[in-house]
Amino acid sequence: MILQKIKNLNYLVIFLLILLSFIGAAGLYSAADGSYHPWASRHLIRFYAFLLMALVISTIDIKLIYKYSYSLFLISLILLISVEIIGVLGKGATRWIRIFGLSIQPSELVKITIILALAKFYNDIKFENVKKISFLFFPFLILIIPFIFVVIQPDLGTSLSIIMLGIFILFFVGIQLWKFILGFITAVISIPILLQLIKPYQKDRIISFLNPESDPLGQGYQLIQSKIALGSGGATGKGFLQGTQSYLEFLPEKQTDFIFTLIGEEFGFIGTIFIISLFILLIAVCYFISIKCFHSFGKILALGIASNIFIYVFMNVAMVSGLMPVVGIPLPLISYGGSVMLSIMISMGLVLNVDLNYNLKKLSNA
Amino acid sequence: MFYSEQKKQISTYNRRTFFLFLLKLSLFTAVGWRIYNIQILDASKYKMLSKKNQIDLEIIFPLRGKIFDRNNILIANNEKVYDVYLIPENTKSISNTLSALSKFLDIDFAKRRKIIDLSSKVKKFEKIKIFENISWTILEKIETNKYNLEGIFIAEDHIRIYPYKEVFSHLLGYISKPNQKELSLPFISKMPDLDIGKEGLEKSFNPILVGKPGQREIEVNSKGRIIREISKVDSIQGKELLLSVDSRIQEYSINLLKSYRAGSINLINIKNGEILCMASTPTYDPNKIIKKPNKEYWESILSNSLSPLTNRSLQGLYSPGSTFKMIVAIAGLKHGVINSDSTHSCSGKIEFGNRLYHCWKTNGHGRMNVTDAITQSCDVFFYEISKKLGIDKIAKVAEDFGLGQTFDISMPNQKKGIVPSRKWKKNTLGESWYAGETLISGIGQGFVLTNPFQLAVMTSIIASNGKIVEPTIVKSKKVKFKATDKYSKEIKIIKKAMFKVVNENKGTAFKSRLEDVKFAGKTGTSQVRRISLAERESDDFRKKEQEWKNRDHALFVGYIPYDDPLYAISVIIEHGGSGASTAAPIAKQVFNFINKLDL
Repeated sequence: MILQKIKNLNYLVIFLLILLSFIGAAGLYSAADGSYHPWASRHLIRFYAFLLMALVISTIDIKLIYKYSYSLFLISLILLISVEIIGVLGKGATRWIRIFGLSIQPSELVKITIILALAKFYNDIKFENVKKISFLFFPFLILIIPFIFVVIQPDLGTSLSIIMLGIFILFFVGIQLWKFILGFITAVISIPILLQLIKPYQKDRIISFLNPESDPLGQGYQLIQSKIALGSGGATGKGFLQGTQSYLEFLPEKQTDFIFTLIGEEFGFIGTIFIISLFILLIAVCYFISIKCFHSFGKILALGIASNIFIYVFMNVAMVSGLMPVVGIPLPLISYGGSVMLSIMISMGLVLNVDLNYNLKKLSNA
Repeated sequence: MFYSEQKKQISTYNRRTFFLFLLKLSLFTAVGWRIYNIQILDASKYKMLSKKNQIDLEIIFPLRGKIFDRNNILIANNEKVYDVYLIPENTKSISNTLSALSKFLDIDFAKRRKIIDLSSKVKKFEKIKIFENISWTILEKIETNKYNLEGIFIAEDHIRIYPYKEVFSHLLGYISKPNQKELSLPFISKMPDLDIGKEGLEKSFNPILVGKPGQREIEVNSKGRIIREISKVDSIQGKELLLSVDSRIQEYSINLLKSYRAGSINLINIKNGEILCMASTPTYDPNKIIKKPNKEYWESILSNSLSPLTNRSLQGLYSPGSTFKMIVAIAGLKHGVINSDSTHSCSGKIEFGNRLYHCWKTNGHGRMNVTDAITQSCDVFFYEISKKLGIDKIAKVAEDFGLGQTFDISMPNQKKGIVPSRKWKKNTLGESWYAGETLISGIGQGFVLTNPFQLAVMTSIIASNGKIVEPTIVKSKKVKFKATDKYSKEIKIIKKAMFKVVNENKGTAFKSRLEDVKFAGKTGTSQVRRISLAERESDDFRKKEQEWKNRDHALFVGYIPYDDPLYAISVIIEHGGSGASTAAPIAKQVFNFINKLDL
């Protein structure tokens, strides 16, 4: 049984994960001036540990996952709320909680449990009820509660990705387009109110995004330096370990949010396009799994996870290339960081699980 | 019903899956396009920005070339000195460090405030210079207490040093920071902080003494901290300069002059034009000018009415007095106004154009030929021949002997002096020449002005029988002088007379003669002010002690040995009295000194 499952695993997904994590390790090796310490080695150790965990998740009975989707969502929500109470301080924002010796960002986990909860919800209701307003209430709660807690942390990037994730899933399950448009208009109107709520440093970030050259040594500094690093890489890059911008500490947070810039400087346009292509391939495989899956739970789960990865990659690349404010979104499997790695590998375990169980007719509590 | 519902759901899912995938693909295309713009289209712009970001060029200042005298004795050198720096990031408490340092160096309250103030302004790893040129003993103390002096950093530097202090100051000058105008000079490009020569040879030889800067390409990070050195081109020290000057003679001459308030001694080797000595007093110590703070020293120099900064050898202008008589005699002989035997009778004065022109010897010299007139320095004889020559012929000869001109000896600010002529007076004063002025000029008074070095060159030309001696201050330039017979006959007669000046009983410098190596010369006493008739008629006016600034300048020019001359000298003592009593004995001492040296 287990052997059969291992044999049927989607090895393309596993190959892509390994490839991406190795690219990440190479970038981190370079970020540490050609040293495995402190990032590259830990990055790989984490990857293999979490890969093992993902394989375990992929072999769990999908009915169990389905059954405990709401419970998992609740647990992650409690973790998220407890961050407010017992969280330790990190970079002016409270985002971390220590579990089993690991610093974990519950907001990363909550994105996956949101997908699980929404998948279970839309798996359970009849398709004709999807369009009813009353049936929007529960999904809205699933999205808005974690969103509020992430906003007050405050974590602009993650709250934005929760919104985008919700939009992708709700659109997929069949919510009419005009409801999104209405929601968008409501959001635009409420922007002045939101601006009152956000913290000054977040306002600075938005201002610096709108005009980075206005303050080249302050908020816009990161963006300008990131563009210089990317641009000076040119078509083929300066070569591995030859990136001067990041090496000379011009590049802030080069091991996390700006790892894409570092790789772009050393491997040029070819390197950056290669990485984006790998992610497109990974997302496409998830889409394929979603399409071939018979049951709605698996379909929504795979698509939600694909969307989540898309959001990470798109926001990160848009951020370091100056298309978006610097909101602190890492690049999955490449940036250094335990929480994101954990959340990505859990979600990839789930995708592999869906892939193994695509032919189940219907999942229900009955 | 149920079946169709499910079919509808599947088709919705599939449609929307397709749409979502397309949306994500197009969003990826957007960021891809953005990346393409940055990495391909604008790559050159960002590549340039990246270079600017990271590479700093640091200029390595070259060491200034050393200067030696003719015997390879260092007269301008660079000395290693130590500066004390504070690096704020290396100390936990700047005030503790300064307190610890104040045990060895004087840090008053104001200085302390300034340092602390400055350290808060600069980057934490930037060095702040807090003391310059600390002494060896203090350096040792700081080094042994290094562990109590967190953040203190000692760095080597070089300072120009003149071991002979004031002896060569007028020749060498000194160095200092370039001014706005000098900054555009080609040899100091890129080195605005480098000290350059401001006076004398240090100034004229700047282009070769400065040397070539080196540079260090260094990588710096965003905070300006140095990461590593990319390339280094060492600086090239300025070339060494070997002077013709002999430090022994120079020092000896300066010491002789120190007995007087102001004066000048110049010695030239007539065979090759090498200047062996160019001494001028009062003088100054260039080391004290270079060493900061120098405000007090500067003020003492500038307030000195004798202007120690003036190099009297080249910038001091004096009436040549009787030393000019050789020129007039040569002109007279040349133009046939006199011959070696023609005589004039001196009665102590002659009348010309309603005016009396006096000889220094009130009772007159009696009948004189040209040799006697030079030997005893009879003024009336020269009044007579000047009268016949006219000023322009005298001027021509004077110019041929180097008067009224500057020399190519790399010394800045030479003063030409005046060789008066009809044309000169018309051009500068707008007046026509009076015949009486010719008489005054004939004894080296009136308009005639020369600097002491010109007189030394004039004497060199006489001593070398008319060869145009071109003086040089740099050694081993083997020069062939233009040999000319233009005045050789006349000079022969003059030289005989100059020998008698020193070596004959009646000669004005007889008291200064040397027995072992005989020399020849001519005394001169140049009037500083007009002597009134009343004074002149009082018997004792020459003996009377005059106020210093009213006293005559004492001059002497000469050469040694008399029969085969090698060296020519000029001596001027400002307000020194008579040439015979003051200047000639100094020349004798210098000649005596060089006779003992093996040159």
